Amino acid sequence: MNMEGLDESLVAAAQAGSTQAFSRLVERHQQAVRAFLRRACGDWALADDLAQETFLAAWPRIGRLKAGASVRAWLCGIAYRKHLTSRRSAARSRTRDAAYEAERIVPAAGALDDRLTLETAMAELPTDQRACVALCLAADFSHAEAADALELPLGTVKSHVARGRARLLIALGVPDDAC
Amino acid sequence: MTPADARLKALFAHHAPPARDPAFSAAVVERLVRRRCLQDLALLGGLSTVGGVALWGLWPVLQPALIAVSDRLAPSAWALAVAFCAVAALGGLGERAPAVES
Repeated sequence: MNMEGLDESLVAAAQAGSTQAFSRLVERHQQAVRAFLRRACGDWALADDLAQETFLAAWPRIGRLKAGASVRAWLCGIAYRKHLTSRRSAARSRTRDAAYEAERIVPAAGALDDRLTLETAMAELPTDQRACVALCLAADFSHAEAADALELPLGTVKSHVARGRARLLIALGVPDDAC
Repeated sequence: MTPADARLKALFAHHAPPARDPAFSAAVVERLVRRRCLQDLALLGGLSTVGGVALWGLWPVLQPALIAVSDRLAPSAWALAVAFCAVAALGGLGERAPAVES
């Protein structure tokens, strides 16, 4: 049985009320959801908390998942909305975080490796652009799949990915060989 | 895939958690089961409260009726209770208990 077929049978069993099937789905998709959230929000501990919330929110909604739909994209869509809600509720504590960041000792620019540069550049991208980059460039989502998951128009996703990619490459000092 | 995209992808790979993480999966399932348990408890508590209130309200009507029929129903009720206890003691009802899932 291929991966999509296995997902479909697990979804069908979970829709019938099987928590065992749902836990198999959690096992199969936790990596994709957690990686997406880590890239989208930058805070790994928060990302893992949001990933748990994502799966808890997915369980009562699994009956609405259409047959043949991508489970990974569906879960990432829920995760994205959890992330947006979390950002809104965290807005009040942002001032405190900014004060903490200002006091933090920042390593010299030369000591920053590429991963830190990438994280910094990702943090500077707008939220939806960052989510598009996280899905399409890092997780091999097609533009259509990302548009479906994030509930954004396909053209918007394409332009977000192109702009985000260009900004990341500039930050990393990598020549854009696609031009 | 262009070299620039490959470089980005390699850097992004740092964010990926392990493909299998039993601790994470167990934490999700534990929270899920706990939530379902709390929902079941809330439902049962609500139903019990509603049933209690309904019984309290209907008791003045029910009590005379029950007294009137109790003499005639008592032998049948005893027979049913004894039969139920016998079946339960012989293990006939034990097999119906769900294993893991409700």
